[in-house]
Amino acid sequence: MKRSSSLAFRLIAAAAVVSIVLLLAAGILLSSLFTAAVERSLDARLQAVMDGLLASVELEGGKPKMNRQLADTRFELPLNGWYWQITQVGGDAGHQLASTSLLDERLPIAQFDDPGRADGVRQAGYMRDKSGNRLRVIEQRFNLFGSKEQYSFLIAGNFDELQAEVSAFNNALIAVLGLLGAGLVAAIFVQVRFGLRPLSALQTELARIREGEQVRISGFYPDEIQTVTGELNQLLDANTEIIERARTQVGNLAHALKTPLSVLTNEAAIHGGPLGSKVTEQAGIMRDQVSMYLDRARRAARAHTIGTVCDPNEVVKALVRTLERIHVEQGIRVEAGYAPAVRFRGERQDLEEMVGNLLDNAFKWSSGNISVAVRPARNPPDTRISWLDIVVEDDGPGLPDGGAEIATQRGRRLDETKPGSGLGLNIVFETASMYGGRLSLGKSRLGGLEAVLTLPATGGQG
Amino acid sequence: MRLLVVEDDPDLNRQLVSALSDAGYAVDSASDGEDGHFLGDTEPYDAVILDLGLPVMDGVSVLEAWRREGRTMPVLILTARDRWSDKVAGFDAGADDYVAKPFHMEEVLARVRALLRRASGNASSELSCGELVVDTASARVSVAGNPVKLTSLEFRLLSYMIHHKGKVISRTELVEHLYDQDFDRDSNTIEVFVGRLRKKLGIDVLKTIRGLGYCLSEPDEKV
Repeated sequence: MKRSSSLAFRLIAAAAVVSIVLLLAAGILLSSLFTAAVERSLDARLQAVMDGLLASVELEGGKPKMNRQLADTRFELPLNGWYWQITQVGGDAGHQLASTSLLDERLPIAQFDDPGRADGVRQAGYMRDKSGNRLRVIEQRFNLFGSKEQYSFLIAGNFDELQAEVSAFNNALIAVLGLLGAGLVAAIFVQVRFGLRPLSALQTELARIREGEQVRISGFYPDEIQTVTGELNQLLDANTEIIERARTQVGNLAHALKTPLSVLTNEAAIHGGPLGSKVTEQAGIMRDQVSMYLDRARRAARAHTIGTVCDPNEVVKALVRTLERIHVEQGIRVEAGYAPAVRFRGERQDLEEMVGNLLDNAFKWSSGNISVAVRPARNPPDTRISWLDIVVEDDGPGLPDGGAEIATQRGRRLDETKPGSGLGLNIVFETASMYGGRLSLGKSRLGGLEAVLTLPATGGQG
Repeated sequence: MRLLVVEDDPDLNRQLVSALSDAGYAVDSASDGEDGHFLGDTEPYDAVILDLGLPVMDGVSVLEAWRREGRTMPVLILTARDRWSDKVAGFDAGADDYVAKPFHMEEVLARVRALLRRASGNASSELSCGELVVDTASARVSVAGNPVKLTSLEFRLLSYMIHHKGKVISRTELVEHLYDQDFDRDSNTIEVFVGRLRKKLGIDVLKTIRGLGYCLSEPDEKV
């Protein structure tokens, strides 16, 4: 399964993307709001200096002059980023006055030139001084008392000193928002896992149905899923019903065809002659064809049945009981071993056909002793699931060398003297492979044939 | 030996009845489960040939009903459903043997002979009493190695007697087991048959037990 195709991944990813975008936007907004607030408070402080400066300056001989010093000593340390400057607009250097911190430097005021501006309207902006400090600057223009000239009053504060404060805030903001983001993603993760838990419960149930441990979906689910499980249950029921019906019809067909075939065969035997023997021969072919195709249809219908499981011990017991009655005169001793916890994962009828044919062969050939055992597989073909063995042994003549191959072919019979259509072992072989299992033939410790049927199992091993 | 055939297919029913009659049995027949069950419950059959797929009442139910009612005659089931589950169901219901359709008539005859033999406790198809030998498979009778020719009814009588060797059989029982249902029964004719049979066999194996009936036993044996 690709990770991106997981429902949980999609939910978590979508929620995470939305949260991150929202957190980023919130972070940017908060940071700019804080910067603006810092700017506003700096502007207010600079304005206070401006007001002090306006109160301290007067014109003396057309030149601006301080009649007292400003209280703030920051304006005296050289090039520290805190400056004030009074400039006559359009005047020369003689008509300028500046804080001692500016030394001989002067800040340009051209960026604040605006012919339409009224007296005393404040402008604000940023610039850099000679030593690279970033300055926050406010500027106002006044006509000083006793002069027609306009003077620019400029106060600059070192914005870098405040930048540290902004950075500290931003760092704190990033940390808090990052933490919040991580918390949100974790919460989403938990929520999705919790929200999707019914789905994994459903998956477990479906797996159990496939394993044959249950027939329908039985758990309670949230409304949205309950409708799906309802539909699934109906599908399962319909499936079972279709198979049941197909099987019944196949059985009916068999019955319907076999009785007329008996009549034909017997009538032909009574009348004899070339026509009689032809009819006998053809009826025999029809009989074999009918049983072969009915058998195939039966098995094809069963191959799709999901979730059936049956007790192999019971099947073996019933078959032994029946075969002992059929062969009551031979007085055969059957030694049976069972494994009560082992279950066959498949149709009971299939198991009956396979074990029935193996046991039937054993009864036909045995000279007195048969052993049959159900057990967990000794030599499983695949270790991912569990397997069972059904071992049937007899003390008959066994198979000649190379016989195993011939014995499993359809219609082949190693000995034509015993009754039977010769389909027995082949049916066992084909049905076993349909289940992914196998049939192996060998020499029994009893002296005859040993047939080991290995089939998929569920439940307890051992 | 009197048999019952329960088979719904008219052709197969006719074939079975005629083949079994030819083999020397008295045969009754029914074509549905209800009739079959009634006959089997009221008439003393020596064996029954029962189809499992019957109208009105299916074969397994008929068989189960007989066994419940204490009917122990051997039952051979005929079935088109030759899966092992059907065989298990048939035998669990109380069948003694089965033949899968489509079948050859000889197979049914052989199974019926075997069932009758088994029911009487004999291991071989050749039943004997002193010098008398009855081969149930070939319907041949011989005394001291010399073949004896019998009519169908005489053979039926001898066959029933030798299957129940040593037991006292009443005339009524003989009538019930020698004739089929539709036959006009008269127990006096039994005496005539017994007389003829004694003459043909020439040895004293068929004894009259006064007031009770007949008994087949070794010539020197006292009954």
